[in-house]
Amino acid sequence: MIETLADFSLGKRIQPKGMIQKVGLIGCGSVGQEITRTISEYGIDVVFLDVSEERIAEIFKDLENQLDEVINHWGLTPGEKRAILSRIKGTTDYNDLADCDIVIETISSRKRGTSLEIRKDIFSKVESVVPRDTIISSNLATLMISDLASVLKYPDRAIGMHFILPIYKTHVIEVVRGIASSDEAYNMIERFASMINKRIIKLNESPGNIVTRMLVTTINEACDILMEGVASVADIDTAMKESSGHLFGPFEMADRIGLDKILKFMDNLYQEFGDQKYKPSPIIKRLVRANYLGKLTNRGFYNYESGKPVDQTVTCAVIK
Amino acid sequence: MKIIVLNCGSSSIKYQLFDMPSKSVLAKGIVDKIGLKGSAIKHKRDDGTSAVIEGEVIDHQSGIEYLLGVLISKKYGSIKSLDEIDAVGHRVVHAGEKFSGSVFITDDVIDALEECVDLAPLHNPPNLKGIYAMKELLPEIPQIGVFDTAFHQTMPAKAYLYGIPYALYDKYKIRRYGFHGTSHKYVSHRACEILNLDISMQKIITCHLGNGASMAAIDGGKSLDTSMGMTPLEGLIMGTRCGDLDIGALLYIADKEETSIPFTNTLVNKFSGMLGVSGISSDMRDIEEAANEGNERAHIALEMYQYRVKKYIGAYAAAMGGVDIIVFTGGIGENDTKTRTKSLEGLEFIGVDIDQEKSMKSRSKEEIISTPESKVKVIVIPTDEELMIAIDTYDIHNLLVEQTSQI
Repeated sequence: MIETLADFSLGKRIQPKGMIQKVGLIGCGSVGQEITRTISEYGIDVVFLDVSEERIAEIFKDLENQLDEVINHWGLTPGEKRAILSRIKGTTDYNDLADCDIVIETISSRKRGTSLEIRKDIFSKVESVVPRDTIISSNLATLMISDLASVLKYPDRAIGMHFILPIYKTHVIEVVRGIASSDEAYNMIERFASMINKRIIKLNESPGNIVTRMLVTTINEACDILMEGVASVADIDTAMKESSGHLFGPFEMADRIGLDKILKFMDNLYQEFGDQKYKPSPIIKRLVRANYLGKLTNRGFYNYESGKPVDQTVTCAVIK
Repeated sequence: MKIIVLNCGSSSIKYQLFDMPSKSVLAKGIVDKIGLKGSAIKHKRDDGTSAVIEGEVIDHQSGIEYLLGVLISKKYGSIKSLDEIDAVGHRVVHAGEKFSGSVFITDDVIDALEECVDLAPLHNPPNLKGIYAMKELLPEIPQIGVFDTAFHQTMPAKAYLYGIPYALYDKYKIRRYGFHGTSHKYVSHRACEILNLDISMQKIITCHLGNGASMAAIDGGKSLDTSMGMTPLEGLIMGTRCGDLDIGALLYIADKEETSIPFTNTLVNKFSGMLGVSGISSDMRDIEEAANEGNERAHIALEMYQYRVKKYIGAYAAAMGGVDIIVFTGGIGENDTKTRTKSLEGLEFIGVDIDQEKSMKSRSKEEIISTPESKVKVIVIPTDEELMIAIDTYDIHNLLVEQTSQI
């Protein structure tokens, strides 16, 4: 018989419940990759599920490139990179999520139309393979966790999370309790957040939470200012950064997130609240139609070269 | 009397069971990879019995519970029951300005150490976890804290203040604290014991050269100055830490490389030092091997290392108005004959006369490596921080017993 440490236990106490050793992610696009990296950096195992082996290989290549970029800026040692990658596994099989303590749905919200049904389907599939005490979560900007939880047999385990970009730099996560969410589930997410060095912004369920709701209205307003010919894209960004201490101006932020995503957030919020302020600006619609999606396509409000903005695509109307 | 000495790191706990006052080590080991996959206890008893026992160690408390379980187990144990343990000594890295010596840990002491967490965010929290765990598991047994910074609390203001606005010292206690205090104290005392000299009359320079490295100027048994500062980054060139660096250069690098503060921190702590300069390794042995094979950068790195040590010896001799004893300790100080010899080269003018043959042979043992005629005694002493912690724990425990019996 092999000895284990449990044989030497003094029996002084019961081992605490709710250890977090492994987190599952469904979908590993740009946001999913940032979440994967962050979780693994803090020593937690991550298994991500994506569509094919080819895609998984691509994701690993992306992750490696991102980590190399950090190493180039002295933020990480090669040894730390190896350790981070060793904690990450990719799969196409839901069964590989069976031993996860938390599973987070992080599918890309790029496609037009609501992704609610796809996400609901994912929630059901996840629940069919994980144990009763696994928390099922979703990285939600404008959808509602209670909607997703409605398909679960045990909706008390569902908690909404919204990671703020850039995830490796920001220190907060928006956490949303659904109608049925339990205290245990919430406490577990709170513990998880502190393990990855994030503070929780506790929210009552509402589309767009704080960040997305404030952001889209700011971007819409910035588009109005631009359309009225008041100032240029770069000047509006600079003014906002300097005056409000924001990391990014509204257009830079829109380009980083992706204009297609922004458009979708706006559509969802407009549909939910019916308020004109959420109605997508015509500029955003035009840019998305032209596939000017932001940094991802190297064209958005700005043109990009090697990830850096070089000039503006939308010029300001000047009255002479 | 049995004393457990604990050194709790972020994901490991090193432990030793001492029998005092005989100072013999009954058992020692490490609880490794706490909270991670593949956690285990590597345990060794004084009779040579050793074991690697694997299992899930989710936190420091369960790690300590298991190590106590191993210590009292029939198969690997050294004691029959936990009642045999008389005291626990904890290594604590940072005690700020609160303590200048080892102390019996009370709730007030814990509060004071909690306040120092900001000063050593990586080290103090696991140290405290060890204290909390022991408090819960062995509530009746006195715990003693031995602090890395305590020995250097005798430094005068002229040595510990930085040339920055005094308000920052007032506000955040920005000052030099120094580290490796337990080691500097142990080797300086031990040197005087071996040389049969009264420490209160000696001017000693101690060189703790390990992966982390620091030196201290010890005048009359008291630390007058030390090379590490507010953090363990200042001073000597280390394995991966840069040591003394012009802040202007750092700001320039941060600007040019567009690095954030955390990245800059990694740059100077993990990419610099011997690794950064040589581009080979942070391990002295690898660098020496490369230098022997003609690698120029490895050669330069070694010269820089030795030069910095020599510079500090000169500075500390000047600060104390002379030097009577130079002590080498730590992995490099104890074993790396070349580094020792080169660091002392040219110091004949202050009275250093090395017995070259002895110095080239001396490894990992207490040995005087200067000639009998040498005005400055140079001595190698393997450091034993755990023993020092056990001695302090033993002394404070006895004092407590004495006080209680007087009541």
